[in-house]
Amino acid sequence: MSFFTLMIKNPFRNRTRATLAIIGIAIGIATIVALGMVTGGLQSSTQSTLKAGSAEITVTKIGSGNFGSSGGILDESLVTDLKNTNGVKDTAGILRVNSNVSTPSGGSGFGSMGGFLVNGIDSSKLALVGIDSVNGTIFTNGSSNEIIIGKTVAQNLNKTVGSTIDIYGTEFEVTGIFESGNFIYDTGAFTSLSTLQNLTNNTGKVSYIQVKVNDNANASQVSKTIQDEHPNDLSATTAVDLANRINQSLGMIDTASWAISLLAIVIGGVGVINTMIMSVFERTREIGVLKAVGWKDRRILGMILGESIILTLVAAVVGIILGIVAVEIIFKFFITSQSFEAVLTMDTLLKAFGVALLVGIVGGLYPAYRASRLAPTEALRYE
Amino acid sequence: MTKENVIEIHNLRKTYDKGKIKALNGIDLEIKKGEFISIMGPSGSGKSTLLNMIGALDRAEEGTIKVAGINLMKTRDLSEFRSQEIGFVFQMHNLVPNLSVLENVEIPMYETRVKSEEMRRRALELLEAVGLKDKADKNPTKLSGGERQRVAIARALVNHPSIILADEPTGALDSKTGDVILNLLKSLHSKEQVTLVMVTHEPYVAEMADRILHVLDGKINNSS
Repeated sequence: MSFFTLMIKNPFRNRTRATLAIIGIAIGIATIVALGMVTGGLQSSTQSTLKAGSAEITVTKIGSGNFGSSGGILDESLVTDLKNTNGVKDTAGILRVNSNVSTPSGGSGFGSMGGFLVNGIDSSKLALVGIDSVNGTIFTNGSSNEIIIGKTVAQNLNKTVGSTIDIYGTEFEVTGIFESGNFIYDTGAFTSLSTLQNLTNNTGKVSYIQVKVNDNANASQVSKTIQDEHPNDLSATTAVDLANRINQSLGMIDTASWAISLLAIVIGGVGVINTMIMSVFERTREIGVLKAVGWKDRRILGMILGESIILTLVAAVVGIILGIVAVEIIFKFFITSQSFEAVLTMDTLLKAFGVALLVGIVGGLYPAYRASRLAPTEALRYE
Repeated sequence: MTKENVIEIHNLRKTYDKGKIKALNGIDLEIKKGEFISIMGPSGSGKSTLLNMIGALDRAEEGTIKVAGINLMKTRDLSEFRSQEIGFVFQMHNLVPNLSVLENVEIPMYETRVKSEEMRRRALELLEAVGLKDKADKNPTKLSGGERQRVAIARALVNHPSIILADEPTGALDSKTGDVILNLLKSLHSKEQVTLVMVTHEPYVAEMADRILHVLDGKINNSS
């Protein structure tokens, strides 16, 4: 039998105690994993705005926020103006209005905030908003009342290709359902720009403009040029800037996650110290025998520390499974409108195992030191 | 040809409770290689303390003690000495309950550079010598008291020590089982040419030895 096998066998001699210790640590690890999955999901949703093919710059009216207000506030002629800016490959004017179609109660996320957003865009420019493929067909430009809806809207309103949606008193036929990967777009719909302009009395107006830069151009530089050329009207934000800003907000969740990790280390560490000290107490005579047969202090230290780490690594595996199951249950039963999906990243897994390892070391060090320092004669006399 | 001394002790002193209890009060002792020695004496006379000193489980305060050529007063880490030179047999077998009989016998070999297969081979060989090869995979809690003590003897011999120290090895056994253990120890002693030092209360047990030491108040009272 190898020394490693011996270390694996020992922590489970008292199964009840080992199970309780594992549960205690696993709950902390599960919390870390669950928070990590939510943060990871939000981050990946944000990063999907950077996907290849879509526009790198969003141009809005100054003071109207990152994605512009609803309604037409920019003159459509700017769409052509901006296309002539140095380094710009293509532009798309988008009119955004609220559909006023309420989504079923119980939903959450962007899709349920008093109706979904309807975007008017030239159908040839859909790639600029990250819509590469549509399940069905895309709408035709002009006066036909056709619309494509995001997968989240389709789920929430239970709509399929061929269904109709009433927007501002006009019936639109759903010709396609898309999944752009951008959770803001996926909770909205797209239709012909001119149709939406006519319907909402916004003729010649758009809410914001998406700008795609040339392959060899620098998005930040182009963004600066646009702002310099329209200093009093336009604000240009690159997708990278936007993602960074959202990530800063996500940083708060991340900080909370670290605080919980720290708490898990402290609470788990105390639990492990208690478990391992009890184990060392019970095995005092045995440790005396090990010393009598020639085991060095550092081997005894290594054995107890190893047992502690094995205990916490098992707890990490249990905690990770628990965390994933918990998130799946919450997303399946409590978050009916999924504006994003939880993602288990390698970072989260490493963090879970890292915390478990740390708890194992912190919790096992003192009992291991104590065991290694036991005087053999006293240990052998221990009743 | 006279045999060389494997244990040489001069004026060995050990106190407990801040000097109030004189456990060893100037022990002088020489034991030759391959000898079988019994140590007798009343409770608290110092016989177990003497055994612990020889086995380097405890350190004396004064005097000199040289075992298997190693000066125990001057050697800092004695774990290697214990691993290589000494085999302990305790009154209580002190086997690890969650390990199999075979794994218990393998335990002393972790500090040696013996590979797993060789560990297993050696442990099985010794279990065969003590008549327990067929119980190698059993848990020690499933064995009788005598069988457990036989496992402890196999464990003591596994690193081929030069000295076996047995502290009342039959103390917790009935007389019939005790005799089996004693005969086993005696036959292993002659077969393996190992020095055997045994603490006992029983005169008939002590008489099996080549020499009997009587310890009283931390001193060797007489030798017979």
